[in-house]
Amino acid sequence: MGSWIVGNWPSFDPHNFSQLRPNDPSAPSKKTPITYHPTHERTLPPPDQVISSEAKNILLRQFYQRGDEKLRPKRAAPENLAPEQECKHPRASVASSSEPPK
Amino acid sequence: MSTYNYVVTAHKPTNVTHSCVGNFTGPQQLNLIIAKCTRIEIHLLTPEGLQPMLDVPVYGRIATLELFRPHGETQDLLFIATERYKICVLQWDADAHEVITRCMGDVSDRIGRPTDNGQIGIIDPDCRLIGLHLYDGLFKVIPFDNKGQLKEAFNIRLEELQVLDIKFLYGCPKPTIVVLYQDNKDARHVKTYEVSLKDKDFVEGPWSQNNLDNGADLLIPVPPPFCGVLIIGEETIVYCSASAFKAIPIRPSITRSYGRVDADGSRYLLGDLSGLLHLLVIAHEKEKVTGLKIELLGETSVPSTISYLDNAFVYVGSSYGDSQLVKLNLHPDAKGSYVEVLEKYVNLGPIVDFCVVDLERQGQGQVVTCSGAYKDGSLRIVRNGIGINEQASVELQGIKGMWSLRSATDDVYDTFLVVSFISETRILAMNLEDELEETEIEGFCSELQTLFCHDAVHNQLVQVTSSSVRLVSSISRELKNEWRAPADYSINVATANATQVLLATRGGHLVYLEIGDGILVEKKHAQLKYDISCLDINPIGENPNYSNLAAVGMWTDISVKIFSLPDLNLITEEHLGGEIIPRSVLLCAFEGIPYLLCALGDGHLLNFLLNLSTHELTDRKKVSLGTQPITLRTFSSKNTTHVFAASDRPTVIYSSNKKLLYSNVNLKEVSHMCPFNSAAFPDSLAIAKEGELTIGTIDDIQKLHIRSIPLGEHARRICHQEQSRTFAICSLKYNQSSTEESEMHFIRLLDDQTFDFISTYALDQFEYGCSILSCSFSDDNNAYYCVGTAYVMPEENEPTKGRILVFIVEDGKLQLVAEKETKGAVYSVNAFNGKLLAAINQKIQLYKWMLREDGTRELQSECGHHGHILALYVQTRGDFIVVGDLMKSISLLIYKHEEGAIEERARDYNANWMSAVEILDDDVYLGAENNFNLFTVRKNSEGATDEERGRLEVVGEYHLGEFVNRFQHGSLVMRLPDSDVGHIPTVIFGTVNGVIGVIASLPQDQYVFMEKLQTSLRKVIKGVGGLSHEQWRSFYNEKKTADSKSFLDGDLIESFLDLGRNRMEEVSKSMNVSVEELMKRVEELTRLH
Repeated sequence: MGSWIVGNWPSFDPHNFSQLRPNDPSAPSKKTPITYHPTHERTLPPPDQVISSEAKNILLRQFYQRGDEKLRPKRAAPENLAPEQECKHPRASVASSSEPPK
Repeated sequence: MSTYNYVVTAHKPTNVTHSCVGNFTGPQQLNLIIAKCTRIEIHLLTPEGLQPMLDVPVYGRIATLELFRPHGETQDLLFIATERYKICVLQWDADAHEVITRCMGDVSDRIGRPTDNGQIGIIDPDCRLIGLHLYDGLFKVIPFDNKGQLKEAFNIRLEELQVLDIKFLYGCPKPTIVVLYQDNKDARHVKTYEVSLKDKDFVEGPWSQNNLDNGADLLIPVPPPFCGVLIIGEETIVYCSASAFKAIPIRPSITRSYGRVDADGSRYLLGDLSGLLHLLVIAHEKEKVTGLKIELLGETSVPSTISYLDNAFVYVGSSYGDSQLVKLNLHPDAKGSYVEVLEKYVNLGPIVDFCVVDLERQGQGQVVTCSGAYKDGSLRIVRNGIGINEQASVELQGIKGMWSLRSATDDVYDTFLVVSFISETRILAMNLEDELEETEIEGFCSELQTLFCHDAVHNQLVQVTSSSVRLVSSISRELKNEWRAPADYSINVATANATQVLLATRGGHLVYLEIGDGILVEKKHAQLKYDISCLDINPIGENPNYSNLAAVGMWTDISVKIFSLPDLNLITEEHLGGEIIPRSVLLCAFEGIPYLLCALGDGHLLNFLLNLSTHELTDRKKVSLGTQPITLRTFSSKNTTHVFAASDRPTVIYSSNKKLLYSNVNLKEVSHMCPFNSAAFPDSLAIAKEGELTIGTIDDIQKLHIRSIPLGEHARRICHQEQSRTFAICSLKYNQSSTEESEMHFIRLLDDQTFDFISTYALDQFEYGCSILSCSFSDDNNAYYCVGTAYVMPEENEPTKGRILVFIVEDGKLQLVAEKETKGAVYSVNAFNGKLLAAINQKIQLYKWMLREDGTRELQSECGHHGHILALYVQTRGDFIVVGDLMKSISLLIYKHEEGAIEERARDYNANWMSAVEILDDDVYLGAENNFNLFTVRKNSEGATDEERGRLEVVGEYHLGEFVNRFQHGSLVMRLPDSDVGHIPTVIFGTVNGVIGVIASLPQDQYVFMEKLQTSLRKVIKGVGGLSHEQWRSFYNEKKTADSKSFLDGDLIESFLDLGRNRMEEVSKSMNVSVEELMKRVEELTRLH
C-alpha cells in the first residue's frame, strides 16, 4: 500500500543524480571541499548594512510611542523638569489609555 | 611549563546540525548547504551526485542557517545567526568565486535570559522581516526595507515564556507567526500573532489551538495553497489553520527533523530519534485539506536535518551517526523499505569518550572513540598517517637500493626486484607459487653494487654499476650492449628512464646516453665544476619515455641545476644555501603541476614550482621531514602519482586541491622504497627498513584514516588494557518495543584486534556505567578493570547509590572479583598510589585493595575529601589530585601519606561548569567548560600568603567553540625524539561535534613568534560574514567576556599554508620574516597532528 503517494518526486533538473555511481556504502565518501579563507575586502558589508538593535527598551519605546501619539499637544513641559517627573507623565497616561495585556 | 598552548583541529566537526537547499551559487544551480556547527559546506547538485564546492569556516557556532530570496533577486542569500548573537547575510559572487557579506550585525541584548530550548531564527516567506527568539519573553524583529535591505532590529515582548517552536505562516497579508509553547501547567498550545512593523508590536493572530499533544515539539508551516501549520507531536500529528483542524494518531516517536518535498507543501519527510523516515501527506480536495496520511519509508541514520534534494534523492544530516545521501525508490525492497542509502559521510560526533592506544605497537597513537548515539553508536578508530599493510617480509641486511623490472616492456606487472648491497646485487622474482625467490639476470653484473636500474624500450633492461652501464634483453636476459666508464672515472650516481641514461662520474663529469634497440649511444658529455651528488630525468613532459630536462644536485656549492637534454646545456641554477648537500632530486608533476623536489642530507625537503616553458624555479618551500638523508621515489596508487620520501621519518608527498601535502607513513625508518606491482602483490611497494625487506600495499593517500565499528548501541566509556589486549566499554542499548521503551546497560569486553564482543556483564536495572579504568594495585600485579556505576532512579534528582565493580579478564571473560557499594554515582575512577581513587557525588574517596583471610580481595575505604557540588572529572599526578566540578571549576587536592588524608591545596574560585580536566604539568591544569571555552590554571606555590597559595591562578583563556568531553595525553603522530616537534607535549581532545583536536604546549619563544603570526594573519584572512576572529576566540560565558590569552588558534595559523604567494608575502613583510621561514615553521606545526 502507499505506493500512490511514494513517487512522483519533484525534479528541478532531471539530470541531477542521473549519473551517480554510488560508493560502496560501507566505505564513506572521501570527497573533501576546499577550505575557504577569504582575503578580499567584501567580507565587510556596506556601511549601512551593519545591523544593531534599537537601544530603547520595549517599555521606553511604548512610552515614547504613546507619548508621541497622545501627549504631543501637552508636551510643552519645560526642559528642566526632573527626570522622575518626566517619567511619571507617560506612565499615568499609559495606564489609563491602554488595557492591560491579555 | 605548559602555559603556552597551541590548539589545532586534527579532525574537523562532522556533526551536521542544519541543512538547506536552494539556488545559492547561481540561478540555475541547485545547492545543498550544510552546517557542521562552526563550518558551512556548500555542495552543488550535479548528474554525478553531490559535488563539494567549499568548506567555509565560520567564527561562531551556527544557530540558524536559512536560505531566502528577497524580492528582485535571482538567487538565494544565506542567513546565518550564531550562538553568540551575530548575524550575517551571505551572497555568492559567481564571477570572483567568493562569498561576500551583504549584511551583518549584532543582535544581542544586554539583559535577557537566553532561551533554554536553543535559539530560533526564521524568515518571513514574503521577506518582510527576520524573526529571532533569543531570550525568554522577547521576539526580535529585523525588518527588510522595500529594496531587500535589512534595517535596525527591535524587540517585541512575547508573553509565552516556554517557547518550543516558532514559525512564520504562509499566505498572510501581515507577517504572522505561530508559536508553540508550554504553559506553567506543562500543557502545550499554539497561538498566532501578527507582527505590526509600524507599531513594533504583536497583534492577536487569526487563530490559536489549545491543549495539544504533550510531546508536541515541532511546527511545519505549510505553503500555499493550503497554508496553516503542521504540529508534530509524539503521539499525534495535527494540521491546523484558521479554517481547518485535522489530526492523526502516530506510533509513539520523537520527531526532530523534517524536509519538505513538494513546493505546494503536500508531502513532508519526517525523521525520528529511532532513525525511521516517514512520509507525511496532506490529503486534499483542490485547496481544501481533507486529512493527513503517514507512510513509513524506511530507516536512515538518526537525522538532525533532512533536505529533499532532487529527483527522489534526499540528504539526511545526522548528529548521532553518519550523514547519508539516500534515494527514495518507487517500490519497496525485500524488507519493505523505500529508502536506499547511496552514500555515507563520516561523523564522529558526539565523541563521548576516547582512549589513545598503540595497537600496532609502532610507537604511534591511535584514537579509539565512543561515537554516535542511540542505534548509531559506534567505536571509531582514528589513525594519522598512511599505513603499510604487510604482505610478505624477509630479513635482509644492508640494502643500498631497490628497483623493480618487468620481463617485457608492455607487461602489466613487475617480475624482478633488483636489490643492491654494498658489494653485490641480487635479483628476486616471483616464482610460480607466488613466492619471492632469488633468480638471475645473466646480463647483469651481480658482483657490484647497482646504482640504478630501469625498464627500457624494446624489451630491455638497464643496469648501472660503478664501472659500466649494461643493456640487457628482458626476454633472453642476456647482455646486448655495455658502456664502460673510463678507467679512474668510476660512476658515482646514475639515473635512467625508458630511453635515456644520465650518469655522473668522479671529477664532475656528466654523461648522457640514449637507449636504442640493442645499443647504448653516448650523446653528450659535460664537465661540471664540482662533484655531482644526485640526478634525475623523470619525464614530466608530454612523452612519458623521454625527458627534456635533467635535474642535478651538486656537492661543494650546494646547488641544484637543470640541464636541457640531449645537449646538456645549463638552463637554471638554484643555490640552496646552508651547508647540507642535496641527496636526492626528483622532477615530478602533481595534479598536472610540475615540481622540482630536492631532499637534503639533514632530512629537509625543498620544493619548487618548475615552469616548463621558462624553466624558472619559483615558490621555493622548505619543510623538515626527518633528520636523516632522504631518498625520493615516485609511486602510483589508484592511478595517481605520489612521492615516497624514504628516511628516518618516511613520508608520502601528495597533492590535494593543488597544494602539496605531507603525510606520515606509519613505519619507523625506511631506507629505500620502490613500487613493486607484481601479479601476486598488485599495487604494492617494496620497502627496505631496519634489516628487513617488506612487500606491502599502501592505505589510501590521506592524512586521517577512520575505521568504524558499528555497535548498534551507545558506548559511553572506553578503556584499553594492554595485558589482556582488550577494550572494555560501558554502553547502553535502547529497547523499543511497541508498548514500552527501556534501556539496558552493559559492561562489554572487546578484542582489541577484531573489536568483537567477547564478554558482557549486564548491569542492574536503572544502573548506569559512569566510569571505567584499567589498573593494578600495590601488592597485586594483576590488571583489573574497575567500573564505577550509578543507580539512576526516576524519582531522584541525584543518584544516591552506586557501585564500584572490579573485574579481571580470564580466558577472555569478565570475572567480577570485587564490588563495593557507594553512596552516590561514581563519576570517575583513577589509579592512585596503588589504590583506587573514586569521585562519588560530592566526595573524593580513596580505597585500598585489601587481601581477605580467605584469599579474596576487597576495596576498603581509606580516606576521602568532601566539598564539591559534584566531582565529575578527576586526574591525578603523584600525590596531587585535580578535580573538575560540576559548577565550581577546578580544585587541587593533595594526598598526605602520613596522615592518610586528602586535603584541598588550592582552587579556582570562578564558577565554571566543567566538562573535562587534564593535568598539563606539575603546575598547570587544563579545563574545558560548558560554554565551549578552554582555560588553564596554575598552582601558585610561591605565593606569599596562604590565601595566595590557595588560589589557582587563571593563566590562559580561549573560546574553542566546541564542547569537550575528554582530554587524553598522547599524540596522533609518531613522535621522534630528535625531530623538531618531538619534544612538544600534546593533549588530544574529543568533542560533541566529532572534532578531534590537539593542544600542544609550545616553548615560550615559539609561542611568541606564532602569536605574532596569528596577529598578522587576522589582518589578511578575513572572517566570513565579517565576523571577527579576535571576538570569536575571546573567552565567553554568561558572566564575562575576556580576550583570549596564552592560547593560539592553530587552524588560523596553519591556514597560512593555503594562502596565495602574494598574501604570504604580505604576512611575511608585516612579520619581517621570509616566506620560506614562515612556511617551514608552520609546516612543522602541522606535523603535530
